[in-house]
Amino acid sequence: MIEQSAQSPMIEVAGVSKWFGDLVAVSEVTFEIGPGVTALLGPNGAGKSTMLRMLAGLARPSQGTVRVLGRDPKTDVELTRQIALVPQQESVFEVLTGLEFVQLAAELQGVEDPADAARRALELVELTDDASRKVSEYSKGMRQRAKVAHALVHDPQIIILDEPLSGLDPRQRLHMVDLFQRLGAAGRCVIVSSHILEEVERFGSRILVIAQGRLAAVGDFRAIRELMDDRPLRVRVVCSEPRRLGAVLLDGGLVMGATVEENQLLLDTVNIASLRSELARVAKAHNIRLFEVLPLDDDLESVFRYLVDPNRAVRS
Amino acid sequence: MRSLYKLFVASIAKRSRVLTMAAVGALGILLGVVVGLGDEVDRGAQFISRFGLLLVVPIASLVFASAALGDPVEDRTLVYLWLKPVQRWKIIVAATLAAVSVTLPLVGVPLIIASSFTGGGRDLVFATALACAVGITAYTGLFVYLGLRVKRALLWGLGYILIWEGFIARAGTNASRLSVRGHTRSILERLTDAEFELADFSIGYSVAMPLLAMAVAVSLASVRLSRQDVD
Repeated sequence: MIEQSAQSPMIEVAGVSKWFGDLVAVSEVTFEIGPGVTALLGPNGAGKSTMLRMLAGLARPSQGTVRVLGRDPKTDVELTRQIALVPQQESVFEVLTGLEFVQLAAELQGVEDPADAARRALELVELTDDASRKVSEYSKGMRQRAKVAHALVHDPQIIILDEPLSGLDPRQRLHMVDLFQRLGAAGRCVIVSSHILEEVERFGSRILVIAQGRLAAVGDFRAIRELMDDRPLRVRVVCSEPRRLGAVLLDGGLVMGATVEENQLLLDTVNIASLRSELARVAKAHNIRLFEVLPLDDDLESVFRYLVDPNRAVRS
Repeated sequence: MRSLYKLFVASIAKRSRVLTMAAVGALGILLGVVVGLGDEVDRGAQFISRFGLLLVVPIASLVFASAALGDPVEDRTLVYLWLKPVQRWKIIVAATLAAVSVTLPLVGVPLIIASSFTGGGRDLVFATALACAVGITAYTGLFVYLGLRVKRALLWGLGYILIWEGFIARAGTNASRLSVRGHTRSILERLTDAEFELADFSIGYSVAMPLLAMAVAVSLASVRLSRQDVD
């Protein structure tokens, strides 16, 4: 499960678990992260935010250790000069303007000329024109950008972003992705969480997949994407002759399993693309009428369930 | 720390809170005028003790102090302060100073004005000023900690004011010694001719103990903020 980065790790997580009473949010997670953009992918409630909070020092692991730049983020107050977090929650200080909100961060971080630094950070997220408006008047996307500016104003080494693209319009999403990639290319350690596979695809090559509190896979995006695409899928087919269609598809090698249940045909395949393109042709050739074809587990949740299946070895 | 202080002042001094407490302060002045029309010898001190020190000072302190850190905990904006290279005690001290500097002019000053209308003379005005300053400072320290420590701090604080300060502290000297009100009433008693039950501590003791309680509460809050998980 552990992938050693070619570059020296900026974040080291070793055997980390976090539980709240009986609820285990994160379980036995180990990984290292170096410079560049790393995406943390997982469904809602998988433990991503808890993991990010531990990386930022906001929460103490119940078990295991977190080291950021070799130091403990929970107890080392000075380390916060090197860490930035864009939290998932929308709330910000409603009484402040956008400029004041970002300038506050610059002042507390001890940045030289906080006002100028704040203006530059707001420019980075294209919020200059609305800098003097109260944050309470901002849209969700504007708040999100203000939070990013607040986080980046002191030029930190470690940038942790929890679902940073939510609420942004497509153009702003592109702009943010480009910004994060530029920061990663400049040697910053950028960690971006998301529950949307396609969103993660844009961020770059390295991802951590977390599901049910466990680290399901670590590595290159393409390898994990193939792993996800190659997993067995179940498809339900309602047709005029389910037994005969199942036999034909098995003979043709298009499926690895076929079951008839209550006049419905359940097909298991590892090659969904071929099945999709051939099913109608095969059915027509054998004069079988198709009424319904429905993939049963094509959602991201099933992908994560598959990845954390203890009976399946994860190698990426 | 100045940035933090300004932020806390702006955050806790919400219009609705300020208007409500300003109205209470104005009511105090009005009642002070009415009390001044009476003829009991210690009417002014009794009014300040009951209306000011038992009711207005603790409740106003609770409203502003519990919001100072309670609001950021509740709306999850505390993360923006916690993730900064600022010693935790500075955050607590800034929150406490902000709450004191909002509460004092809003209810302390009207109570001092009210005391001047009650016919209690200069001694009562001075005693009211000192008792309000000590009371507000001590309650603020306690309620800033409460706001950080528990959810629904307003309810817990009201329970403390009504049950401990208003009821149990009247049971005996030792209990009174452990209440802020016991000390603020002692200040009134020592500096005026009024007499109150279970309020016969020396001036020095009555000033020092509440301030010590505030310092302990600030220390506890600082430790709590360093150790607790932040949402």
